[in-house]
Amino acid sequence: MSSGPDSTRQPLLARAFGLRLALWYAALFVIGALVIAVVTYALIAISISQRDQQVLQEKVAQYAAAYRRGGLDVLAATVRTEQQVAPERLFVRVVDRGLDVLVLSSPEGWVESRLETATAQLEDGTIVQVGKSTDSRDDLLVRFGTALALVTLLIVAIALTGGWLVTQSAQYPIRRLALAVRHIIRTGRTDERVEIGNSGDAVDDLTRLFNAMLDRIEGLVTGMRGALDNVSHDLRTPLARLRGSAEMALAAPPDPRRDREALADCVEEVDRVLVMLDTLMDISEAESGALQLRREPTRLAEVVGRAVDLYRDVAEAKGVTLAAPEDAQAPDDRARDVIVDADRTRLEQVAANLIDNAVKYTPPGGRVEVTLSREHGRAVLRVSDTGPGIPPGEVPRIWERLFRGDASRAERGLGLGLSLVKAIVEAHGGSVDVSSTVGSGSTFIVSLPSSGEGNLSPL
Amino acid sequence: MRSIAVGTSRYHHIVRALLVEDDATIADFVTRGLREAGFVVDHVADGDAGLSAAVGTPYDVAIVDVMLPKRDGLALIDDVRRRGIATPVLILSARRSVDDRVRGLQTGGDDYLTKPFSFAELLARVQALVRRASRTAEPTSLSVHDLTLDLLSRQVTRGGHAIDLRPREFALLEYLMRNQGRVVSKTMILSQVWKYSFDPQTNVVDVLVSRLREKIDKPFDKKLLQTVRGVGYVLRP
Repeated sequence: MSSGPDSTRQPLLARAFGLRLALWYAALFVIGALVIAVVTYALIAISISQRDQQVLQEKVAQYAAAYRRGGLDVLAATVRTEQQVAPERLFVRVVDRGLDVLVLSSPEGWVESRLETATAQLEDGTIVQVGKSTDSRDDLLVRFGTALALVTLLIVAIALTGGWLVTQSAQYPIRRLALAVRHIIRTGRTDERVEIGNSGDAVDDLTRLFNAMLDRIEGLVTGMRGALDNVSHDLRTPLARLRGSAEMALAAPPDPRRDREALADCVEEVDRVLVMLDTLMDISEAESGALQLRREPTRLAEVVGRAVDLYRDVAEAKGVTLAAPEDAQAPDDRARDVIVDADRTRLEQVAANLIDNAVKYTPPGGRVEVTLSREHGRAVLRVSDTGPGIPPGEVPRIWERLFRGDASRAERGLGLGLSLVKAIVEAHGGSVDVSSTVGSGSTFIVSLPSSGEGNLSPL
Repeated sequence: MRSIAVGTSRYHHIVRALLVEDDATIADFVTRGLREAGFVVDHVADGDAGLSAAVGTPYDVAIVDVMLPKRDGLALIDDVRRRGIATPVLILSARRSVDDRVRGLQTGGDDYLTKPFSFAELLARVQALVRRASRTAEPTSLSVHDLTLDLLSRQVTRGGHAIDLRPREFALLEYLMRNQGRVVSKTMILSQVWKYSFDPQTNVVDVLVSRLREKIDKPFDKKLLQTVRGVGYVLRP
């Protein structure tokens, strides 16, 4: 597999997308970690300071009581006794009303800025102060801060790695889809499909849509390829005839009358080729879904009426009775108002082709009947004839392109009419069917989705 | 001065046509055909030349191919229209889709013909464009030889004998008489008489023509309605 170049030649957009995702993830994580670190640090610092303050308050109250009891001597004795027992040295200061320092333990250590102090003022105005060095506390906080910073750094590292990993795994299905798409584009193999995951997420949805799009493209391509094959194959015969007529005329000694005949043959043959080409293109386009239908609400009875009108003279000239919906004594009024959402011209083509066939194959004295009805919410057109019928073996093949049954070879035609009917009807979401009995006739049935019934404003 | 053929005589002046077509063979037969029909034809082979010709000469009608070198047909029509030139334009195109037709007409073309076309049809359309532009007075009756068709009373007589025609037969005869001396194709008849825009590949036209012939020609010695095999039908005096 050549996945190497594909994975390294990752599109910039995907890379940027992944990077952005990872950065967002990491940034949120880092901000969270920093907030936690700062808050923790602040809380610890505050609570230590509060604890110290509490100890000092107790001490100052105790010393003040001692001072009150026996003056400086008792206080000094208390301090001394305590300091022999206490692990931590406290600084004690007594200041009288005249701001003279009366008692001071470790006066050299009394530096206001590095002490946490508590003060009590006695009734006679003497101030008792206790101070506690903040050195050990600062030291503790520094160590705690360092540890916290290290942990935060670790968290940032984990966040970045995690972000990258999460992005990678989130992008994996997208990248797999991109890989498959690129492969299909490079090889041009529209029959390949991307495997759909089972997580049911947006990417699966996208994959399914992509596969559906491939289905459609493949349908179009196959249809067009089929059309080209058919066209090149089916045009050879008429082109051979065309060439033959012209060549024969040129090879023979000049004879104006025969030359004109040959020219007329050529023009007629060219017209046949042209009709064939147009019809084949129509069929292929309709089958592949490329046919542009100009759909509009259309009253089926109107379209069928026009087609019947077109063939009235032909049927009469042949001695065939052409019975149309409007001829009926008690027409199904609901059927007359059936509306279909359809391309009017294409539908006329369908009706005209079916009636043309029916009239063509019905012997003089026969009858062609066109009926409309609404069945199970669908508009149904039936064209029945009293012709020779279709042998059961030929029935499935009559819709094929250029198929001509044994009975139809004698009649003029291209063998494309029914294929076109089927293709157009199916492009409209309808279906075609035929029921036929050899010797008594055939009925062609076109069923179209009906969009209701009602009165369209007259055109 | 060039003699003016039947088809254009009713305009009482020379009709000038501009043909912009790069395919030499098509240009040749269209030019020859139009000249035989009495037109004065100028032919140029690319869009730029087409534009300068259309700007420099007041043409009565222009025939423009869509696929042209230098400046395509639709751009040419657009430019011509932008300069306020209202010459009616017939577009020739090798593409047959409805959308192309719509686009052509939206750009400012007046009619659209798909290749390959029959010359009879091209001529009929060109003449219709010229007629529409010159707004010639509508005649009240048409006649060919001893056959007369009264457009108001809808009476048809030949040599004094009244002929009873059905509506479709009347419509066909009227169309043939309006185009007397010119061949009209089956496709043209289908679209004119039945208003069918596609060719259903039927023999309906043959049936109608033979019925009309039965009524206007069969009882008389001189046959007016002639079949031109491979091309169509023509009424000749």
